[in-house]
Amino acid sequence: MMKKGIAMLLASAMVLSMIGCGGAAADTTAAPAATEAPAEETKEEEAPAAEESADASGVELNVTTTFAGEDGNAQNFKDAVNAWCAETGNTVADTSATSDETFKTRVITDFETGSEPDVLFFFNGADANSFIEAGKVVSIDDIRAEYPDYATNMNDDLIADSLVDGKKYAVPVNGYWEAMFVNKEVLDAAGVAMPGADYTMEAFKADCQKIVDAGYTPIAAALGNIPHYWWEYAIFNNESPANHLEIPASADDEIGQAWVAGMNDIKELFELGYFPENTLSATDDETFAMFTEGKAAFLIDGSWKVGGIVAACQSDPEDPATLDTAKLDNFDVTYVPGQGSRKATDLIGGLSMGYYITTKAWDDPAKREAAVSFVSYMTSDTVVPKFAQHTASALKNAPAVDESAFNPLQIKAMSMMSGVTSLTGAVQDLFMGDCRVPTFDGMPEIVTGKVDAKDAVQEGIDSYLAQ
Amino acid sequence: MGANIYKNKKPVSLFLFPAFLFMIVFLYYPFVKNIWNSFMEIKQLGGTGSGVVSPWYGNYAKMFTDANIRTSLINTLIMMLATLVFQVGFAIILALMVDNIRRGRQFFKTVFFFPIVISATALGLLFNLIFLYDKGMLNQILEMLGKAELTDWKAEGIAIFTMMLPVIWQYVGFYFVILITGLNNIPEDLYEAATIDGATRFQRVRYISIPLLHNVICTCAVLAVTGALKVFDLPWTMFPKGMPLKSTFLTGTYMYYQTMEAKNVDYGSAIAVLIVVLGVILSKVVNKIFREKDY
Repeated sequence: MMKKGIAMLLASAMVLSMIGCGGAAADTTAAPAATEAPAEETKEEEAPAAEESADASGVELNVTTTFAGEDGNAQNFKDAVNAWCAETGNTVADTSATSDETFKTRVITDFETGSEPDVLFFFNGADANSFIEAGKVVSIDDIRAEYPDYATNMNDDLIADSLVDGKKYAVPVNGYWEAMFVNKEVLDAAGVAMPGADYTMEAFKADCQKIVDAGYTPIAAALGNIPHYWWEYAIFNNESPANHLEIPASADDEIGQAWVAGMNDIKELFELGYFPENTLSATDDETFAMFTEGKAAFLIDGSWKVGGIVAACQSDPEDPATLDTAKLDNFDVTYVPGQGSRKATDLIGGLSMGYYITTKAWDDPAKREAAVSFVSYMTSDTVVPKFAQHTASALKNAPAVDESAFNPLQIKAMSMMSGVTSLTGAVQDLFMGDCRVPTFDGMPEIVTGKVDAKDAVQEGIDSYLAQ
Repeated sequence: MGANIYKNKKPVSLFLFPAFLFMIVFLYYPFVKNIWNSFMEIKQLGGTGSGVVSPWYGNYAKMFTDANIRTSLINTLIMMLATLVFQVGFAIILALMVDNIRRGRQFFKTVFFFPIVISATALGLLFNLIFLYDKGMLNQILEMLGKAELTDWKAEGIAIFTMMLPVIWQYVGFYFVILITGLNNIPEDLYEAATIDGATRFQRVRYISIPLLHNVICTCAVLAVTGALKVFDLPWTMFPKGMPLKSTFLTGTYMYYQTMEAKNVDYGSAIAVLIVVLGVILSKVVNKIFREKDY
């Protein structure tokens, strides 16, 4: 009897394991995005509505965005998703994650393996080339053929064309800018005046020297971890808004020489000791902490960093009520020092991301309507301003900004943006993949002189041309 | 029917089939596919690639000129030696000491084993705080002791040792538990006989415990060497992208870097093959050196 029992148990285990294998295979297609979840992924941020069982008429949409983690719009996104779910009776399986290279890799891999989400908020530059080439997302024109009102509240001229076929795919929400944040407490201690619209690299270097002499670090940047912002502006400073988005054919041509000069400019700042002592071994979080704790004066970063600085001024980063306004007043944002044909007020920025509807969702009669409804809701005239805040949007009728809803740093950011003379996209968004490795990951070797800047630029161009 | 079901081996094969299928799908197929991928030109994870690398052995040839591979192999070799000497060495000492105490044996077993159950990523973050340049625990202690300058524990030159310390610390308990189990299997009457013959405690350890632990130590050595080849999570958490100046790459972290960060999936696959080949060769070598004995 005992032996029969064991035999039955083993047989049951075998059958269950077979069922388990079958079930797992089915799940792979049902909830794909979660399978490649990076450590930073915030699945706990899944919209509460998604946890509720969908009603009989409801559709579950798989959505992935970058509105997660420290993103200033993470809460706005959760609120908007909840409101849309309540309005439509649909549910959302949200696999949003912090925007980084791991997130990009995950999304592209999901497309490659046929496990893409139904709707995604993703970059509209070269990052999207692979899935657009594969026909895995639907163009706005194709959607409008069926839904004429789709994204008609947007100014089409501001929606980026795909680099693959020139069509428009991604409906934008909020724009971005990259500028220079300033810790005024450090400037005051070093006797340096707040930089303005006429700030030049020469004046910047003179200020940096004063800051070093006062015992502070001038620039908060982790060159061994996130050299992206300095990379972009160093190149921009050797070009102009007119030709910044051109990619060199060789390190010897005009654009190539500008890139090499940009790398050498960073090297010069490194050799002058204007970056933190541990800039090659520190993480971006560490150098950002130096900035917020009053040990470094300047930080070049994106509009999303406003939220990070505000959070650093709160005793509880999750609770805006704990904001120390006196501490926040120490921070300001200004233009990145200019050089040559680039004025300080020529900034990097634009609308680099947007909502895509995938072909998989479009071809599914049950999901098509829900996907269109979701994107239309998220890009509506009422929702976009909540996300755009102090950045740009593509709305035709953007509502007037209510400054009373903003914190002092956001107001300073809006004031700074009002003086901008041009916004140019980031050339690094067009220069994707392994071609960036020699000058991004290789930045420490460049600034320490272990690799010649020209060789590194040429290596990157060779990889780009080989793609 | 009765006992006949145990003479018929067919049901056994049937029960083994799911596990076999699982191994085929999730281990052997990816392994063979990885070898195939190492000869293809692949820039996106999950992609089929744009053709065969030119020349077809290009990724393997590249390893001979890639300075980072050289760095990662040297670092891995140092890690192996440190693992063997310090992890297994400390584990032997701790196991012998704990085996010789009467009280608190279970307490020390738990304490030494505890780091194993903590996620390596969490440990990496913990040690990041300890070695932090500004306001790190270590630098604060040194500051209190009067040191004026901050020490960058992650600077080139000392970074590799900063990385090894937590890795070694974490796994001492693992080998400790294996060794203490081995010590428990040594018959008590051998020690009693030695005591009657007048052997001191040291002599009992030297002439009974250590020789009879030989096979267990051999197993630990093989595990330590192959484990050092695969170690990834803690070093990556503390030193992403081999920083600083790509001086802390190990074979595991470099493979991940090439695949996920540099988007060279094909080259990452080739490095994975190298790791497997090295693992097989080194475990054979270690087996030869610490040849198991029959008692």
